[in-house]
Amino acid sequence: MKAQLYWDAGALGCGELILELKKRISGLDSGEVIEVRAEDTGAIEDLPAWANLTNNKLVKADHPHYFFQKK
Amino acid sequence: MSNKFCVSLTCSKNDTDKATVAFVVANAAVGSEKDTMVFLSVEGVHLALKGYADDIHEEGFSPLKDLIAGFSEAGGKIFVCSPCFKKRGLDESNIIPGATVVGGAKLVEFLSDNSPSICY
Repeated sequence: MKAQLYWDAGALGCGELILELKKRISGLDSGEVIEVRAEDTGAIEDLPAWANLTNNKLVKADHPHYFFQKK
Repeated sequence: MSNKFCVSLTCSKNDTDKATVAFVVANAAVGSEKDTMVFLSVEGVHLALKGYADDIHEEGFSPLKDLIAGFSEAGGKIFVCSPCFKKRGLDESNIIPGATVVGGAKLVEFLSDNSPSICY
C-alpha cells in the first residue's frame, strides 16, 4: 500500500500517540494515506477507535503498522 | 454520541501520577476531535500557574508541561475552579495560556450538553 506520509511513532502510546497522529494527518489532503508504525500494544485497540471517532478510514492494520486514509 | 469530553483533575504535586495521566487522557480526547475541557479543582488548580508543572515528569510519559502545552495548542480548554484558586491565594495574572478561571455554572453548562466526564 502506498502512503503519502510515513511516521514512526516508536513507543508512544495513549493520548500522546493520538494527539501526534492528529497533527500529522492534518497536513495531508483528503484521500491521502499516512502509514503509522506504533509499537505500543494499546495501539491495537486505540487506533481503530480513533479512526471510528474521527471518521478517518483505517485502511489496513497489521500491528505495529497502520494505514489511515484522511477523511 | 456527545462531541464533548471533560477530564476533572483534583491533583497536582500531591499526586503527579494522576495529574499526568489526566492530561494524557485529555490529549487522547482532543486528538479524537472532541471538544475537550480539563476542569482543575482543589489541589489541581496549581497546574494553572505558569512554571508550576515544569519539574513534573513521570517515568514513561512526556513532561507534564509538554502535555499541557500540547493540549492547549490542539484547542483543549482548561477551566480553573474559582473558589479553589482564591482559597489558596493564587495569582490570577500568572495563569498559563488556555486556562480560564470559572465558577461552577460554567462547568455545569459544559457538562449539560451530555458530556461524559472522567475524574482523577
